[in-house]
This record gives sequence, C-alpha cells and structure tokens, in this order.
Amino acid sequence: MYLPDFEYLAPRTLDEACRLLSDYGSEAKILAGGTDILVKMKGGLLAPKAVISLKYLDDLRGIRYVPDRGVVIGARATPNEIMDSPVLHERYLSVSEAAHTMAAHQIRNRGTIGGNIVNAVPSADLPPILIALGATITLVGSGGERSMLLEDFFTGVCETVCTVGEIVTEVVIPDQPTTGSTYHKFALRRAGALAVVGVAAAVTMDDGVVRDPRIVLGAVATTPVRAPEAEELLEGRVPTDAILEDVGVIAASGCCWPINDIRGSEEYRRDLVRVFTRRALKRAINEGHV
Amino acid sequence: MQAISDAQGISRYLVNLTVNGDPFTKVVKANTLLVDLLRNELDLTGTKKGCDLGSCGSCTVLMDGKAVDSCLILALEAEGTEITTVEGVAEHGELDKLQRSFLDSAAVQCGYCSPGMILSAKALLTRNPHPTEHEIREAIAGNLCRCTGYVNIVKAIQTVADGPDEDSAPTAGEVTA
Amino acid sequence: MSAEQPSPATTQGPPEGGYAVIGKSVSKIDGREKVTGAAKYTGDLKLPNMLYGKILTSPHAHAKILSIDTSEAEKLPGVKAVITHKDAPTLKYGISPARWDENVFCIDKVRFVGDKVAAVACIDEETCYRALAAIKVEYEVLPAVLDPLKAMDEGQPQVHDEYPRNINTEIHQDFGDVEEAFRKADYVRTDTFVGNRTYQSPIEPHSAISVWEDGKLTVYSSTQSPHYFQYYIAREFGLPMGDVRVLKTYVGGGFGGKLEPTGLEFGGAILARITGRPVRMFYDRHEMFAHNRGRHRQYMTVTTGVDADGTILGVHADFIMDGGAYTSLGIATAYYAGAMLTLTYEFDNFRFDMHRVYTNLPACGAQRGHGAPQPRYAFESHLDNIAKDLGLDPMDIRIRNARRPDTITPNEFKVNSCEMKACLEEARELSEWDKKKGKLPPGRGIGVATGSFVSGAGYPIYRTDLPHAAAMIKVAEDGTAATLYTGATDIGQGSDTVLSQMAAEAMGYTYEQMKIVAADTETTPHDFGAYASRQTLMSGAAVKQAGEEVKQQLLEVAAEMLDYPVADLDIRSGKIFAPGNENVSLDFTDAARRFFVTRGPLVGKGSYTPPKLGGTYKGAPVGTSPAYSFAAQVSEVQIDEETGEIDVLDVWDVHDCGQVINPALLHAQVHGALYMGMGESIWEEVLFDSKGRIINPNLGEYRLPTALDMPRIHSSLVESYEPAAPWGVKEVGEGATLPTMGCFRNAIFDAMGVSVNSLPLSFEKVWRALKAKREEQST
Repeated sequence: MYLPDFEYLAPRTLDEACRLLSDYGSEAKILAGGTDILVKMKGGLLAPKAVISLKYLDDLRGIRYVPDRGVVIGARATPNEIMDSPVLHERYLSVSEAAHTMAAHQIRNRGTIGGNIVNAVPSADLPPILIALGATITLVGSGGERSMLLEDFFTGVCETVCTVGEIVTEVVIPDQPTTGSTYHKFALRRAGALAVVGVAAAVTMDDGVVRDPRIVLGAVATTPVRAPEAEELLEGRVPTDAILEDVGVIAASGCCWPINDIRGSEEYRRDLVRVFTRRALKRAINEGHV
Repeated sequence: MQAISDAQGISRYLVNLTVNGDPFTKVVKANTLLVDLLRNELDLTGTKKGCDLGSCGSCTVLMDGKAVDSCLILALEAEGTEITTVEGVAEHGELDKLQRSFLDSAAVQCGYCSPGMILSAKALLTRNPHPTEHEIREAIAGNLCRCTGYVNIVKAIQTVADGPDEDSAPTAGEVTA
Repeated sequence: MSAEQPSPATTQGPPEGGYAVIGKSVSKIDGREKVTGAAKYTGDLKLPNMLYGKILTSPHAHAKILSIDTSEAEKLPGVKAVITHKDAPTLKYGISPARWDENVFCIDKVRFVGDKVAAVACIDEETCYRALAAIKVEYEVLPAVLDPLKAMDEGQPQVHDEYPRNINTEIHQDFGDVEEAFRKADYVRTDTFVGNRTYQSPIEPHSAISVWEDGKLTVYSSTQSPHYFQYYIAREFGLPMGDVRVLKTYVGGGFGGKLEPTGLEFGGAILARITGRPVRMFYDRHEMFAHNRGRHRQYMTVTTGVDADGTILGVHADFIMDGGAYTSLGIATAYYAGAMLTLTYEFDNFRFDMHRVYTNLPACGAQRGHGAPQPRYAFESHLDNIAKDLGLDPMDIRIRNARRPDTITPNEFKVNSCEMKACLEEARELSEWDKKKGKLPPGRGIGVATGSFVSGAGYPIYRTDLPHAAAMIKVAEDGTAATLYTGATDIGQGSDTVLSQMAAEAMGYTYEQMKIVAADTETTPHDFGAYASRQTLMSGAAVKQAGEEVKQQLLEVAAEMLDYPVADLDIRSGKIFAPGNENVSLDFTDAARRFFVTRGPLVGKGSYTPPKLGGTYKGAPVGTSPAYSFAAQVSEVQIDEETGEIDVLDVWDVHDCGQVINPALLHAQVHGALYMGMGESIWEEVLFDSKGRIINPNLGEYRLPTALDMPRIHSSLVESYEPAAPWGVKEVGEGATLPTMGCFRNAIFDAMGVSVNSLPLSFEKVWRALKAKREEQST
C-alpha cells in the first residue's frame, strides 16, 4: 500500500497550527499519532492536500491535576501514557484501564486521546468512560477557544461538532463526588480488537444507595450514548442483583441501536449490553474506580 | 522545515535522525514511511513489512526507546529521534541477552517476526526488568507470529527477565527448551 | 543411484551411548541471521538495476473482459512495462496436472475478485500503484456463483465451461460394505458439520524476483519448493529445466500457500524478459488474501455405525468442498479429506463421497493438514455425540477403537508404527481426565480428539519417476567443515538444522562444523520441497545415505592409516575409533585430508524414493505414505455462560512422531501447528460480501490469535520407532493441527452441553447455542 503525495507542515506553536488549518481549510488534516489517518490514507479513504503535524506542540502533551479544574489530559497524551499515569491511577484508574484495552502496545505508544476522540469511531474505547466521568473537551481555532461536555461532542459515525480549523487541545475530568467507575470492553480477541460492545459506568454511592448513575454505551449506536432510562431506574435505589439485572435489560432494549456486522449481530450485542451494564455497575458500586 | 519542489512539483524534505547510534540526513517525500526509509534508504532490511496497517508488528522499531510500528510513522515524524532497529541490538557483533535467549529457547522458526519481537521485548525489559508472564504477553501482543504459538518466545523473554542482571550465557549451542 | 533402493531403515533405536548428534536440541543453524536481522528474505533483496512490479486484479467475481487500455499507464514517468495476456503464454497451468485451468493473465473472463488481469514494472513501488490505477479495463459483469451448496444446481453460472455443473472433482470410494455394517450396528448416527474458509496468512508476504539473461531465467522466490516452481515455470515458458534456476533465500512461513508459482513468478518473468532488468514482484496483505490457496470450507455429513460398546463398524463420509475459482492443489485436498479419516480408528467399512465445486471466489489449496483438519473436527465431534448417546466416556470410546501398529486401513494405507493408544492413555493421564470428566465446576469442560497425518506423500504432485529426495555432502579438503547440499526447503520449520544434524550423525561428524546449501535448483540436488510433512523422513533418508557414503569412504582410508580392519572401525563426533580398543584413535580431519590428497574430493551422495504404496482404486495414491504420525489432544476450557466467550485454559498434545531429531524444534512445531489449529477453531474466517469481495482481507479483522489469547500448552511424546524411516523418524509439522478443532468443540460440548456444528467456534455461536438450549429447556 502507499500514501498519496501531500504537503507536510510542522508548526511550532498552537497559533501557527490554527493559522495553517484556517488557510488550508478542508484540504488539510491534522496528524497526531498517525495510527488512524495513515491507515485511512493507505486505504484510499483520505487524500488531503496537506498534513499538519502536531509533533512540535508540546503544550498538548501531559497529564496533570490542576486544582479547581480537575485532571487535565493533553490531547496528545498517548494511550500508554494514560495507562501509566500516576495522576489517573490515583484518581480515576478506570480511565487508565480503558486505555489499556486499546489495540496493542506499539499503537498505544503513538495513538492520542485527541485522535481517538475526534475520529469518533463508534467503538472507540476512551469516550465512554470519559463521558461517564463528566469530562469536557476543549477546542481551539482561529476564532478562539471553546469547551463543552464530551457527551455533546459526537454527532454521528466519525462525525463531531469539531469544525474545520479547530484542534482538540485537552480533555478535562472535573473533580466530582463519584465513588466508582469502570469500563468493560467486550472484543473478539484479547489485543488488537475493536469493541463489539463497550459499557462504562460511574456511580456515587451514598450510604448504600446509588446516586447520579451514569451508564455510557459504546459500539452500539452511531455515537457513544447514555442510557437515561436505565440510569433512572437505578437512581436512588439500593443496588440489588435483581435491580442491576433490570437496569441491564432496559439499557439493552431501549438505549442502544446496535447493528449487524462481521463482529457481531444486533441480537448478540443487545444481550452483551445487558450483561456488561450489570457487571460494570456492580464493579463501579463495589470496587471504586477500577 | 525546508521543502524543495521536484520536477513534478512534489515537495522533498530533509530529515535528520539517529539510527542505531549513527546520524543520518536524508531527502524524503512527505509520504515516505519510516519503515521504507530504514529498509530502502539505509538498507536496514531487518525491519520487516507484513501488513502495512500496524496490525502485525513485524515493522516494530524503537523510537526514543518506545516500541512503535514504523509502517504507520512518516519518516519526517522521526525527525530528531533516536531509532533502534534489530541491527542495532547486538553490540560489536556480540549477540545481546535477548537474542541469545531467543536462540537458546528455540523461539525462532521462520524468523520473520523475530526482529519485531526482540525489539518489543527489549522495550519491555528496559521499562520493566522483571515482568510477569502476563506482562510479557501484553508487550508482544502487537507482534503476530504464525509459527511458534508464542510459547518459546515468552519463555525466551521470561528467561532473561528472571535471570541475573549481569550478562551470563547458557551453554553455547545447547537449546534449553 | 541404483534402482534397488537400499532401505533407509536402521536397527531399532539408538546405539549404546545414545546418538551423538540427533536427538539433541542443538541451536538452529540459521538462528543467528534471524535474530540479528541479517537474514534476507526475497523482499529484502536488491539487485542492480532492479525494477518493481505488481499485478492488476479483477474487481468483479465473474466478468467478461471487453477491453484493456494500458496506454495511460505506459505514459506515466517511471513505468517501464505494462503487460496483459497478449504478452503472456496462453498455456493453461496449475499445480495439479489433472486440472490445468489457470492462465497467467485472464484472457476472456475473470473468475474471482482478485483474478489476474495485467501487470506493471516500474522504477519504484509507489509508481506501481499509480500505474495499476491508470490501466483501464472494461468489464461486462456476469452473474456469479458464490454459494458452494448451489454451485452444482442447474442454471448456475459456470466458472469453467469445461467443467459442467461446476464440479471440479468428484469422488466415490467404497471399501468393505458400509450398508452391511450399518445393518449389523447396534446404533447408527448421522451428523452434519460445516468448516470455515481460512487462509495461511504467513507473516512474510509473497515475493519473487525474476532475472532473465541470455534466454535463461533465474527466480528468487518465497517458495516452499524450488523444484515445483522450476518445473512449472519451465513448462509455461517452454524452457528446458536446466535454463530455469529457482532458489530461495529465507522464507517467512508457507503453510501450504507458497507451494505453487503465482502471477508474481509468471508475470515477473515476462516483465524481466521485456525490460531486460531484474523485476521484484510482491503482494500486499490484502492481495495475499485474494490470491489465497488456503483452506477449503467443507460441508461434511458423517454417518457411523457402532456396537453398543462403541466399536466402530463402518463410516460413510459425504462431503462438499468449496474450491473457489481454480483447482490449485484442490484435487489432492479433496482426496485427503476422506483418506485421512481411516487412520486413527480401526474399522473395515468406509465409504467416501466428495464433490469439490468451483465458485467465483478465491481458489483454495493446501493448508497445514491438507484437507484433513475439518473432517477431523467433524468426525471427532460426531464420535463424542455417539459416546454421549451410548453413555460412554469419550476417552474410552477412542481407546477402544484406536489403531494398532502393523495394520492396513480399509483404503489400503499400510501403517507400520502406531502408538495411537499410548498417545490417548498418556493424554488421559497428563490432563487428569478421570479426575475432571464430569466433575468440573459450571462452565468448565474437557474434550479429547485425535489426528494422524502422512510423513510425506507416497506420490509426487505430478507423475514422474524422479526420486523424491537427493542429497550430496562434500567434506572440506582438511576436514574442518562439511557442506550438505540438499534441495529440501527450510520455510521456518527447521529442516536446514535437522538435516544438518542427520548428516553429521550419519558421517560421525559434529553438527557445529556443518554447513548447508539448500533449495537452489542450480547447486543443490533435486528434492520436492516442503509439503505433506515429508522432509524429515524423505530428505532425511537421502541425507543419511549420503552421510553413510562419506563415512564408508573415510573409514577405508582410516583403515589404511591405522593398519586396522575397516569393519572394526567407527566414527563418532569427529573421532575415528575401534569399539573396545582404546589404542585406536584418529581424527576425522586427518583422515579427510589424507583422503583428499590421495583420492580427490570426499563426497557422499544419497537419494530416496518411497516404496510402491497403496491400492489400485481411483485416487489410491492420495494418502499413501511410508509412515504416519499420530496425536491425541485434550483441552480444558472455561465458557462464560452469559456471553459465550471461550477461555481455553490448557491444551495437552501427545504425539507419536517416531525418533525425534531435535526435541526443541519438534515441540516448537507442535506449538505452531496447535496455534494454527486454535486460530481456525475459534477466530479465523475469510468473509465475503454479496459481490464476492473479501470483507476482512487484513490482520485486524482476520483474527490471528495474539500472545494474550494462548492457553498453556503441554507438548509431550510417546516412545516410537518407524521402521520405514531413517532412524525411525516421522512427521510432526502438520499432525498437531488436526485434532484441535474437534478437541475444542468437544470441550465446549462437555462444558455446556451444546454443540457448535460449524467453524469457527465463535463466542457468538456458543452464545446462540446456549440461548437455544435455555429456550428449549423452558418450553
């Protein structure tokens, strides 16, 4: 396979990058880790006139805790950096574990959280847990900066609110009272496999009662989706096995729109949603952020 | 980054990188991949091409010590980095511990995955000198092998991981599998 | 060599003091090159002035070619040649002589998505892609036949006009009296199973470099058999064999998929001739999938009649296999599918019916186990069903029926050594079968299956009286090295190492001083190459003979030097000695040097032809072999009852493979064969869309197991000695692939009481079976 020809640009500052993006418009694509864009270009799905590399934008790297903001993850943080981050281990191990499920070691050294989010493949592994933890995302363009809930970022398969000319700069997990969260990925082999179904759950336990449960389903709709009816059933309840089973049933029957493809049938995926919603909640309730 | 246009109007760029300790400056196109720079420009054919899409790991090299799939990295993205290929593992013709362990454990059959495996293993042992079996399997899960079932490869890496930190070779010529 | 073949058999077992070289896990002779990156595979080679070439393939499963316009491609800078069928010989070819059904480039129509239409030679790889994109082909799309179960129906599109109803191979074999056996049986059961279309997917892509000079052709190829490549390339271009040289450097795995020349060799040769420059042709991974020649998907109905105690009385196997658009090795595959069923269990009555059909899908050929693994899955699963119906332990029923040594199968395969029963008993013990069967916690199960495979095919792929293997050894003038010349082909399995050990053993020399030159039709003597697990036995027999010839000549000179009777001398590990007389001692090197000075080069020659084997019925040659390996596998699995996820915990493989030349390499082969069996059992399947295009021609969605997916593997052997083989050796490279699919299905059956009747045994299929079972139980 080969890559088509293109101009390679490697801006030294974020401002420069935004300017270039603005100049080239839809004729340019951002190159972060390259694990997605180069695959698409080799497959003939993309042929940008220019590629703007983020290689020199060190401001976009790093994972740190910032008081009054929360855990700030630079857009260029790689899945391995997320997996190994002491900051995340301390506060939200579930996010590290979600990164751990991605691809394989070599890809995890190059992929980025920004890329994983912006590419918006429905089976992406980072969005569900981040959404469950109420994460926000920041975009910067020539027109300035804006932030929003990650939950509101996705609009369709490989579609987001990010406009041509904007770059993702960071993802922030705000300080919060949640007591536990986890991400369950079901895939067909133990490495190098996309999620057939992904379920993230976050809860705040209050004296044995579940508050503010968040259930986010991945790979079973055009975007990651919350399961509001299922969450409603659990809100304020003591989470018995029977209730958790019912929550799973509702999530499976009413909150997702899985498709039939070579990785699984719709029927199978729905049942997996049922099972993993229950299992993810159980862990988040009993084990903290895992 | 200076670009010069060639006769067809395609830009060519200079890239500077260190490979196995040697500095190189090469002229490449934007679409030149690191794996092709290594194999075609530097004649380092130890790094292999198996799938073009980052699924098989036979193109694994170390970039600033981290194991990466060189088929998904532009040569220009390697600007200013230190690359280690399999040719850079042995020093002064002496096989390193891992290479010797691969031989002693019968971990090499057709050999096509071996360069990538050895580098993934090297990266692992550098960041984690005494990994568990699970950690070893994780480290090489991105390297596909069709010949060995990974059994002896894991054994080879485990032997080095469990062994003394100083260099000590098992009896030459006798495989311990 | 004389027509009277000296038997390669030796007296049983090792001499006093054991063998000097064989039986030892010496380090691979080519290991260092492989771990340092020095090993050059075909795609690593650069010849001066070399061009790069690629093939344009069809986007349609079935279409007439109306026109091909190469003018735009030819104009592109850097494009040196563009060829189509107009530039190629129109002689049809194929690896199976009974079915020459392929053209170098399609002439009137294309028969599958991926069929060869044109080729280009360019100054670099990138230009090749652009050149291919610039070739304009006009097609008239035809209806395609994509369902092998419909392929024989009236009115279906015909893939090849010469083969009506798309029947490529039809087999009806009948041994004993199956009807009578079924009448006499206490119990008769029929089951149907479906296999999966899988692909060898070696990690190294196909690659070939052609050099045409002065009317002579040299081909470097990633090949399993320089000989077959040489033979078929010479035939295609009307050249004497002596004008075609085929050689391999290193090969990154073949598993059956690199046994026949492809468009890369044929097209590359033409491009090299036209341009006058070397041309390296290559496939990308998705092109490899399209080229295929992988495992046939088989639809298998088996009926067996047994006594109440489980003794098998007769078997009827009725199969259909999807051959794809061309024959490749498929005729042999079709015969092997039935032939191998009679080996592991003894029964006298066997009927085998087979239809191999053409479809407009990539052609299928020989993949590790060659046609036998899926039938093994079917029969082993079927046997477990019978065992369950009769209330018998699956291990017991197999031990009851296990084949014994020195028996003949109903299809007339002569089995000498056979330790099937010992393999089962050992597997039973190692796996703690009796402690576990019926006593495991919920969701956990244990299953058993057997397999057997040929140690080389009794007859070559095309009819010839050539010996199957030949070897030469040249001892250096001062005896400090010896070089083995063999046509045997190391594709990763380690034949270079193992044959070097055998040469050293036969000569009384040391392995460390051996050198090897292999698989080059110009310098090495004829050998059919790596397939049907033939090389340890067959190439080994030739090597042994060559080594013994060296030894004999050396002992004659030594006898003179020592003034000692030659019959009382022996050589071991480079030292000539007289057993029982410690005063007699002479170095190999001294004797060798004396030999050269007084008599000239010290050279040994050997060759091997198997004895005439098998019956006289149609297809009798396929399945014949001088020796058969036997294996029993037990697996323990844990099933997630809610999701169907299969966690294979342990696999025990117990093999009867005769004398082991290199234990480490042998177990490594078991690991690999089992690994491929595992992949095909649970994960691998080539999938197509409604237009015959492969949906998953990549290593992301065609799932090879990763290091994290593997169980604990326990590989062990039983003692065994094969009289028809040098030092008693047998095969191992394919034997461990056979039992795996049935073994896993049986473990799942034991764990959950559900049968997955098609491969792969995917998580979803287990989930579905469990769901169906729950629904059945609640109604």
